[in-house]
Amino acid sequence: MKISWLVALRELAERIKTRSFITMAIIGPVFVLLIAYLLFVVGEKNKPSWKVLIVDPTQIMENKILSNTSGSIKYDFINSYVQLKDFENGTRYQKYDALLEVNEKVLSNKVGYLFYREKPSLSFATSVQFHLERRLEEILIKRFTKMTIKEFRRIKQPISLGFRNIYDPKNESFNLSGWVGFFFGGVILFFILLFGMTILRSISTEKSNRIVEVLLASVKPRQLMLGKITGIGLAALIQFLIWVIIIALGLMIMRETLFQDMMDASNWNFSQMTQQVKHQTISERLMHMNNYNDFVELVFERIKYGNMLFYFMLFFCAGYLFYGTFFAALGATSGSENDGQQFVIPIVIVLVIALWAGYYVLLNPESSLVYWFSFIPFTAPMVSMVRLAQGYNSGEGYQLFLSFFLLVLSSLFMLRIAGRLYTNGILQFGHRLKLAQFIKWIQNG
Amino acid sequence: MISMLELEGISKSFFQKMAVDDVSLNLYEGEVFGLLGPNGAGKTTLIRIINRIITQEKGTVKYKGELMKGKHLASIGYLPEERGLYKTMTVFDHAMFLGRLRRMSRSEVVTSLTYWLEKFEIENWKNKRIEELSKGMAQKVQFICSVIHNPDLLILDEPFSGFDPVNVELIQTELMNMKSKGKTILLSSHNMKSVEEICDRVALIHQSKKIVEGNVTELRKSRKDGSYALRFRGSILALVNGLWTGFELIDKEEIGKDYFVAYISLREGYSFHDLLKVAIQTVEIEAAWEVLPSMQKIFIDLVTDKSLSC
Repeated sequence: MKISWLVALRELAERIKTRSFITMAIIGPVFVLLIAYLLFVVGEKNKPSWKVLIVDPTQIMENKILSNTSGSIKYDFINSYVQLKDFENGTRYQKYDALLEVNEKVLSNKVGYLFYREKPSLSFATSVQFHLERRLEEILIKRFTKMTIKEFRRIKQPISLGFRNIYDPKNESFNLSGWVGFFFGGVILFFILLFGMTILRSISTEKSNRIVEVLLASVKPRQLMLGKITGIGLAALIQFLIWVIIIALGLMIMRETLFQDMMDASNWNFSQMTQQVKHQTISERLMHMNNYNDFVELVFERIKYGNMLFYFMLFFCAGYLFYGTFFAALGATSGSENDGQQFVIPIVIVLVIALWAGYYVLLNPESSLVYWFSFIPFTAPMVSMVRLAQGYNSGEGYQLFLSFFLLVLSSLFMLRIAGRLYTNGILQFGHRLKLAQFIKWIQNG
Repeated sequence: MISMLELEGISKSFFQKMAVDDVSLNLYEGEVFGLLGPNGAGKTTLIRIINRIITQEKGTVKYKGELMKGKHLASIGYLPEERGLYKTMTVFDHAMFLGRLRRMSRSEVVTSLTYWLEKFEIENWKNKRIEELSKGMAQKVQFICSVIHNPDLLILDEPFSGFDPVNVELIQTELMNMKSKGKTILLSSHNMKSVEEICDRVALIHQSKKIVEGNVTELRKSRKDGSYALRFRGSILALVNGLWTGFELIDKEEIGKDYFVAYISLREGYSFHDLLKVAIQTVEIEAAWEVLPSMQKIFIDLVTDKSLSC
């Protein structure tokens, strides 16, 4: 084991120094963040830039309001009454998209009105409400309490109330959850392909430059193979960890800057919604909320990152080991580097089938095929991640563990087979790979 | 003599083609043993079997009287014919990696590497990447990596291929140094001059079988053809005219003006003494010696001898 570990450490050191590793570690997560950002923005499409005139004749707000961080809403104040007709037709008001009326009663009845020219999105409505509410909060605290704003906000706890359909209490129809699993499964397959090819290339190179014979004089072929798979696997894990850190930081920054308003639960205080929202039913509001930006809600609120990452690691390790043995055996048995790459095609096809299986499960979660896909080691890493994200039905949780157990068992079995192929093939050069030879080598333990 | 390595009845085939057929060898402590044979004879397969890289179908390998096991590999050094290095690694990292695989501690590797780098006067290569080295430089590094763990048995497969004459000399000197320290060396080589110079005993493998084994000098003596060489100053014609019917000039080599080496065979009933008596009357003799066949000649004779080829 110590010998394999030495081989693994050398492999790891070589991998993480390569330019492609460093490039992937940066470009990969940035690409994911870019996609996430685009999806966020698509969720917010049609959101215009709003210019709002606040009519505050009694100067309750002292011409101050919480600034809008994204700059999509601009406020102006006027400290005299404005007739709605004037606002509608007056040339001096044409530049304003909405009029926010704050009369002297607002502090007692907590009612304000916003008059719009074009029906605003819920995003705009909740933002305006939030800005007004925060400003009034400051005024009320100042007038009626001895507390500071900071103290008040510390004790004020918004409650996140989940609204669920009685016919779908788990919200399983919320298909985006499955997509999260599909994404994680896809990452597993992508990493398997990327680092599997690295195993293949690394073994082929060792074979062609003949260093392998020097190594085999002190290391058993199986130890060498295991060390190589482990080392490259560690590089893959480190790559993934870098992805996780960069993506997490990126999402955090997005949450704190670009999407701050939407994430604040106090924005969703339904008791004080603007008139437009107030007349909607709760379910309509929720529906709107989802339509407003499903993806933002999904990424920031719904994904159980701890759970997903934990199972991701398990299925990634077992899946990588399973597929890695194929790449290692291929690298060791091929007569030339080109020969090996040619035989990668069947493995890539299997990976594509696994990807399709994940998609199939996403669309048909109740299909009987789902059950079988979960246990076939080729498709298990992908399908299990999708099913995990969708949520297992009651009493089916064992399938996740059974799926993992079978995958580990298959990996160990393949490790044994690949070990034989590696041992018999690693010192064979210049031949053409044939199936009959493969079988002979497997039999020759 | 203490047996270092004992091979008994080793056989190995690849896809029904015999690569090594019932080969037995015995190497003794402190000797240099040459494994000779044409390309494809089975030398490399035999060496791989000794190093446990491949497994024999029949026969046993014993190291210091014990059946060869993985633990013994730590005291065996191996320089394969087809040798490579990791191009992006430095000389130091390479030696450290291979030394650690041979179960050395970090400090042992550092001490040993420093010793060898100083010995070859290449201390400044330590932090160079392999891809920065020339072929000859890389081969020196390969040699160092194969002896870094101070092995008791050193197995070298074509160690001189690719080396310039200076480096061949350098490696030969090092091998003789190791021999003087009691190390055993098994080398496979096509360089017959080196074999003659450094090997105590040799075995010739041909078509998977061992056809000859023995002491180098005795082997050469056993295949001598009764010819002698004379180095002399004077006229070659005078020498030829002076030779009786009992002698025959088989070859001559002009090494200067009126300065020759003549190769003469004796006919039955005539001796070296008779030859000297005749020659001394016609030319000025500087040296005379019995001609032993070179290992090159023995090698070619043996592998082209049809009676041995089946």
